[in-house]
Amino acid sequence: MVALGIDELTADWASAKWLLWIGLYLSLGIVVPWAMTRAWAHQHHSPLRPRLRQVFQNGELGLVSLMLAISVIWDLQKSQYTSFTIALGSVFLAMTGIMAGAVWIESYCRRSTGTRFRPDRAWRDSRNLTLLVFSLAIVTEILLDRFAKVTAL
Amino acid sequence: MRLADPAATLACVSLIFGLLLVVFPVSFPRMIVQNWQNARLTPIMILFTVSLNLGLYLGVAHQRSSRPGILASACLGSVPVFLLAGLNFLLQATIAHTLSLDIPNAFARVDEEIIAHTYFALIASMFGPFLLIRLGQQFRNTNP
Repeated sequence: MVALGIDELTADWASAKWLLWIGLYLSLGIVVPWAMTRAWAHQHHSPLRPRLRQVFQNGELGLVSLMLAISVIWDLQKSQYTSFTIALGSVFLAMTGIMAGAVWIESYCRRSTGTRFRPDRAWRDSRNLTLLVFSLAIVTEILLDRFAKVTAL
Repeated sequence: MRLADPAATLACVSLIFGLLLVVFPVSFPRMIVQNWQNARLTPIMILFTVSLNLGLYLGVAHQRSSRPGILASACLGSVPVFLLAGLNFLLQATIAHTLSLDIPNAFARVDEEIIAHTYFALIASMFGPFLLIRLGQQFRNTNP
């Protein structure tokens, strides 16, 4: 059952649309907010020079991950994979996205109620889970790209 | 145990899978499909996920100087087995369904389904047990 003509299908992987797509998320979701804080500080002549870690210290990266997960789930739903594969991928992406988003929710609740809150832990948790969601998103988009080429034959 | 502990390792496994797909777009998928056809893929995946999960758990326990729990170890050892075996049955049903349909290029589609399924099942079987442990901790302790 080895795919016929798969050599032709995958030879142009360098075109890699998924790379551009993930770059958009990285720049618009992470780099642009950080650059905007820098721009604001510059405009207001403030000594504020926040690092990436400080901008997202309350677990906001988890929210970016949730948005990314939703976007990939949407792409999966539009694909021609069987319903089982779509369901498996969607449920798993949703779970990881929710757990990443939960980091921000937990830190918000802790800050709001005055419960012990550690920004370093919130940053570490959201960073690691974001890394997971991003890697899942990249590989899912690669798989979708391959499948689209097969169905287009 | 926090979910962020295994997340970084899972991300690395996921990225390696993606990298192999990009660098070896023909041979890597072919290897997966052939192993699946020979019924070797699920046992290999079980062995890989259980050892990686236990390694991760013991590593985190050592890092935090805490004693590994027997319940968590049992969960890490058994959940991937049930998950991977169950998902394999579902995949077989899906493939039978796909082949029964009169669609063009059905075999190539089936191969891609197997690759996608392998990827999602691999990551799910590694993440699932840790998620269960984390949820169990939440029920046991309201202020972890």
